[in-house]
Amino acid sequence: MRAALVIARKDLRQRVRDRSAIILGLVAPVAIAALMSLAFNGADTFHFTLGLVDQDHGPVATALRQNLELPALRRIVTLKVLDSEAQAREEVRSQRVAAALVIPPGFSAAATSSASSALHTLSSVNNTIAADVSRSIASSFVAQINADRLSVATAIASGSPTSRAAVLAAAATDLRIPEQLVQRPLGAHPVKVVSYYAPAMAILFLFFTISFSSRSFFAERAQGLIERLRAAPVHPAEILLGKVLSVFVFGVASLGMVWLVTAAAFGADWGAPAAAGLVCASLVVATVCLTALVIGLARTQRQAEGIASAVVFILALVGGNFVFISTAPSVMRRLALFTPNGWALRAFTDLSTTGGGLHTVAVPVLAILAFSGVVGAAAVRLAYRAVTA
Amino acid sequence: MTPIAIAKASLQRVVRDRRALFFMIALPILVIIIIGATVRGYNRFSVGVVDLGSGRAGHDLVAALADSSDLTVHAYRSTASATTAVARGEVSLALVLPASMDAGLRAGRSVAVTALTEEASTTQEAAYNAVASVVASQGSRLQAARFATSVQGGTLDQNLSRAASLEARVPVVAVETLQVDARSNTLPEGFSYSTPTMLVLFVFINTLTGAASIIETRRLGMYERMSVAPVRPRAIVAGEAMSLVTLSLLQALLIVGTGALLFGVSWGDPLAAATLVVLWAVVAAGVGLLAGTLFRSPEQASALGPTLGILFGMLGGCMWPLSIVSPAVRAIGHATPHAWAVDAWTALIARGAGFAGIATDLAVLVAFAVALMALATWRLGRRLV
Repeated sequence: MRAALVIARKDLRQRVRDRSAIILGLVAPVAIAALMSLAFNGADTFHFTLGLVDQDHGPVATALRQNLELPALRRIVTLKVLDSEAQAREEVRSQRVAAALVIPPGFSAAATSSASSALHTLSSVNNTIAADVSRSIASSFVAQINADRLSVATAIASGSPTSRAAVLAAAATDLRIPEQLVQRPLGAHPVKVVSYYAPAMAILFLFFTISFSSRSFFAERAQGLIERLRAAPVHPAEILLGKVLSVFVFGVASLGMVWLVTAAAFGADWGAPAAAGLVCASLVVATVCLTALVIGLARTQRQAEGIASAVVFILALVGGNFVFISTAPSVMRRLALFTPNGWALRAFTDLSTTGGGLHTVAVPVLAILAFSGVVGAAAVRLAYRAVTA
Repeated sequence: MTPIAIAKASLQRVVRDRRALFFMIALPILVIIIIGATVRGYNRFSVGVVDLGSGRAGHDLVAALADSSDLTVHAYRSTASATTAVARGEVSLALVLPASMDAGLRAGRSVAVTALTEEASTTQEAAYNAVASVVASQGSRLQAARFATSVQGGTLDQNLSRAASLEARVPVVAVETLQVDARSNTLPEGFSYSTPTMLVLFVFINTLTGAASIIETRRLGMYERMSVAPVRPRAIVAGEAMSLVTLSLLQALLIVGTGALLFGVSWGDPLAAATLVVLWAVVAAGVGLLAGTLFRSPEQASALGPTLGILFGMLGGCMWPLSIVSPAVRAIGHATPHAWAVDAWTALIARGAGFAGIATDLAVLVAFAVALMALATWRLGRRLV
């Protein structure tokens, strides 16, 4: 055991002295997470400025404007009153407002009669969603008016005399649309960009240590270091354990540092410390097993580099380290669960959105450990051969 | 002829390296597929639906939601799975259609459709408004049918059919959308987004990591040995530059071809697109050549190359459209050549621009290419003398 610790300490010292290891283990993941946080600062929320042109000034137009200024809508819409449709078009075109709503002259009169009329939303090809939301808000506003008109028309079509239209219209004003949408908050918080990408980048760069460690193993073997170690009374298993231990310690330190820096500097929410720590530890175990597997599969330093890079990029791509996996098609979300990083990112997402604890990460941690078990079992046999070869 | 011989030797070394081929060919295609499948739906809200046995009213509502241009509907089997999906951000909100919905509406009662939402999410608030509009429109038929049944008789189903057929004919207060411009600032969704941006990203990363072979050649003393022969330093630099430009061009052409044939990407004006591809290959080669003089070891090049490449790609709009970030980040992004290349692809693909439409972007890329090549040639040449 002592020999394993000596080997691990030597490897770690070498790693710390090598600046590219520090860059990969700490600087790069923090820099990328910071960049994402900066880029998407404010993009976590949906809010837009809506230009409003009131050419009617009647009671229905005033009611519509008051509706747009309700507290619930103020969270997503800021109103900017504009003088004319021409000005509104220019403001939308130049993206000073995301969309505009034009209330035409005579709108109130038409709305309170049975004449047809139309509100206009002005939209830009670069911000169709703002126009769609504006259209939805306006449509919800006029929905009751249209429902009342449809009610009168249906009653007449089913046999009521046309002469009773005015009476029916008066009766219809008391009606209310029978289907209503009711909001029920779940108590979950939306996942912040930095809370997803801080662990995602930390995991990606943790995986880069697979290439680094396996390459250094073959570099040492090429220099005859492994043979010299074996000449001493050191069991091959101790050599392997020493290597594995250094990867484990470096991995834990790297993840821990990125966790601390991104949480303190950019407000990344990694979730409850005990649960997040458990996910990190299980992920490092998976990294250790993958490193051992690459050492077992490769024959040369170059081969180790190649296999490790392929493994890392495929895991990162499939597991969701580059894209927010929640918005990916369901087949990709399922594929992600074949990777330890996919499970880890699911665990971090659940921790930060629901504020859960150990029970939240139980299944992901077991899945990561199962992956590690399978990879580790194959690796032990192959890597042992690499040490004794 | 000497530069060509040097370039040929460098190219042969890369072609024999299976790892390099993986990064040049397989990885970019894989990333294009994954990003292309993921980066879509920015203009729609994803909405979950749990049907607890709502009957016809529920089915009609789901059909109306699916027809809405603002919404993408996903069905969930249980409230628990829909709740998890909302919490994870897989959908903006989830609707629970109650078991008693159809029966309740037929019995003349009002029915509440629950929308499960996150807290403090304005995205969900916007999705909520889009769904509320569909629910209101759907409910108006029911209101009309119930009113007609109460004043004139007949069955609810008969009057529902009448209301549905009348809906298009009754004069309404409509909400019409008028598009005021046609100048798109972003690439289209899907593969038309992922293919050009990944071309920009991977050609750059590839030459950056390709610097490792220049460093290795330097380390092995190959350049010194070449200098013993009647080979001028300028020829060596030209040979290495030619090799990197050729590699970049091959990779870019592979991505352009794959994009056009497999993913249906229309690359726009052929002359302008070809100029852009060649120019980007020269910019990337300049960066690779410069990196070959800046990095100290091949390990450093393989470690820092992808990291720098990803960082530049993020800043330059390869990972997400720069139109969605703040103006300050957008301005910083334009300090990278990536942003100008992505702008040019956007103009060609999204707006159908020609050579003149991307002249400014091309001019900036020429400036990048000249500056990088000059600096790299000077530094590499100095090391060879």
